[in-house]
Amino acid sequence: MSTRKARRTVVTGIGVVAPNGTTTESFWKRTHEGTSVLDRVTREGCEHLPLRVAGEIRGFDPVDLIEERYLVQTDRFTHFAMAAADLALDDARIGRADYEGDPFAVGVVTAAGSGGGEFGQRELQRLWGQGSNYVGPYQSIAWFYAASTGQISIRGGFKGPCAVVASDEAGGLDALAHAARSIRGGTDAVVVGAAEAPLAPYSVVCQLGYEDLSVCDDPARAYRPFTADACGFVPAEGGAMLVVEEEAAANRRGARVRAELAGHSATFTGASRWEESREGLARAISGALREAGCAPEEIDVVFADALGVPSADRAEALAIADALGGHGKRVPVTAPKTGIGRAYCGAPVLDAAAAVLAMENGLIPPTPNVVDVCHEIDVVTGRARPAELRTALVLSRGLMGSNAAIVLRRPTATHA
Amino acid sequence: MNDPLTYQELAALMKKGAGVSVDPQEMESRPASGFDEYGLDSLGLLGIVGVLENRHGRPLPADADRCKTPREFLDLVNHTLMTGA
Repeated sequence: MSTRKARRTVVTGIGVVAPNGTTTESFWKRTHEGTSVLDRVTREGCEHLPLRVAGEIRGFDPVDLIEERYLVQTDRFTHFAMAAADLALDDARIGRADYEGDPFAVGVVTAAGSGGGEFGQRELQRLWGQGSNYVGPYQSIAWFYAASTGQISIRGGFKGPCAVVASDEAGGLDALAHAARSIRGGTDAVVVGAAEAPLAPYSVVCQLGYEDLSVCDDPARAYRPFTADACGFVPAEGGAMLVVEEEAAANRRGARVRAELAGHSATFTGASRWEESREGLARAISGALREAGCAPEEIDVVFADALGVPSADRAEALAIADALGGHGKRVPVTAPKTGIGRAYCGAPVLDAAAAVLAMENGLIPPTPNVVDVCHEIDVVTGRARPAELRTALVLSRGLMGSNAAIVLRRPTATHA
Repeated sequence: MNDPLTYQELAALMKKGAGVSVDPQEMESRPASGFDEYGLDSLGLLGIVGVLENRHGRPLPADADRCKTPREFLDLVNHTLMTGA
């Protein structure tokens, strides 16, 4: 019998719906090639707004992927989450036959930054334009943060522990940690991640209040963290869902173990207090390393938060140095999100997916659009860098002050 | 305006409001079958009640959205439309 403490959490499935690819394979191809897909905002009703550049998901038709009865009662952010969950479950080769006998063994956790803005706007326009009798009842569930967790759970028949993490952008990593806690508590598998759809008129207008939002109109210059030209961040749609499992359960199933979720820690240092995020992020890194039983020198690559705000970039570079010591100046740091934008809670889950793929492929993806780094960290720019990668550190911060870090490890030979 | 609601129309409302495809003849021929068997949840039925209330410009009984079967729902709606002022 394995003890509770020995119940380790491993990643067995990855599903990505991102601006640079609506499959995990296409996402990884463009990510390691360093292709930037940042472009002018074309979503209906957004064209005239001051946000000019974003990472849009184009050519995604949910009708091809999701049953109509789920589509009519959900927002675009949940369409992305359901599609990504399907991809992750397929990748993990988990089907109903695997859990039909014990549906309580599989849970669902998502993180959400803003819920279903597009659906909500449509119904609120009916409220004020025609009256309350014209608001559809699905408004009550579609724009809610919890919608994606609930719909994935209902659609898949997953009756295990379900949760929604609303802890800012870094909540994407906190969701992974929450799933690991469920697994330590006895759950066999959790479908976990985050996807967002912030590119709709109401949602964009809400974001215009963020002073850290980039309103630069040149897709090649709008999001360039760690450079002297950093002028804020570019938002994105999409995200990623993972299947994580208790290691022994995954092995019993004969699943391919892709990585171990070895450690996590989170801190809070207050909204837009970027200088203070240095200490918060450093503490999160140290906490994640401690939980993983990992020395700083063992970190082979860092997936940075890379906000693109000079004070925040400086704080992050210093936090890496504070937490990793001299290794912090040598370890390769990358931020592939500069090629797709920041999908809020989806962003760090996309980074976690990219980190697993990087370890599997022995290739650190580059940081598109970034040249002339002005901080003392080794940012991978230009093209992907081949490297033996056993351990990856993924960092995330939110505009409201959350900081989080996770440590991912390649599976050891005996589990592979 | 107050023509009785038919299975055909109910099927169209279920499709439009809740994304549920159902054969009206099947609904009619199986009077005991419930909305849940066709995949219509309680919010879906509530939405159909709202559409009908807007269409006819009058409220339906408060328990309209608690009907379990299409037959029960049609009887209630049509009774209300026929007898109401």
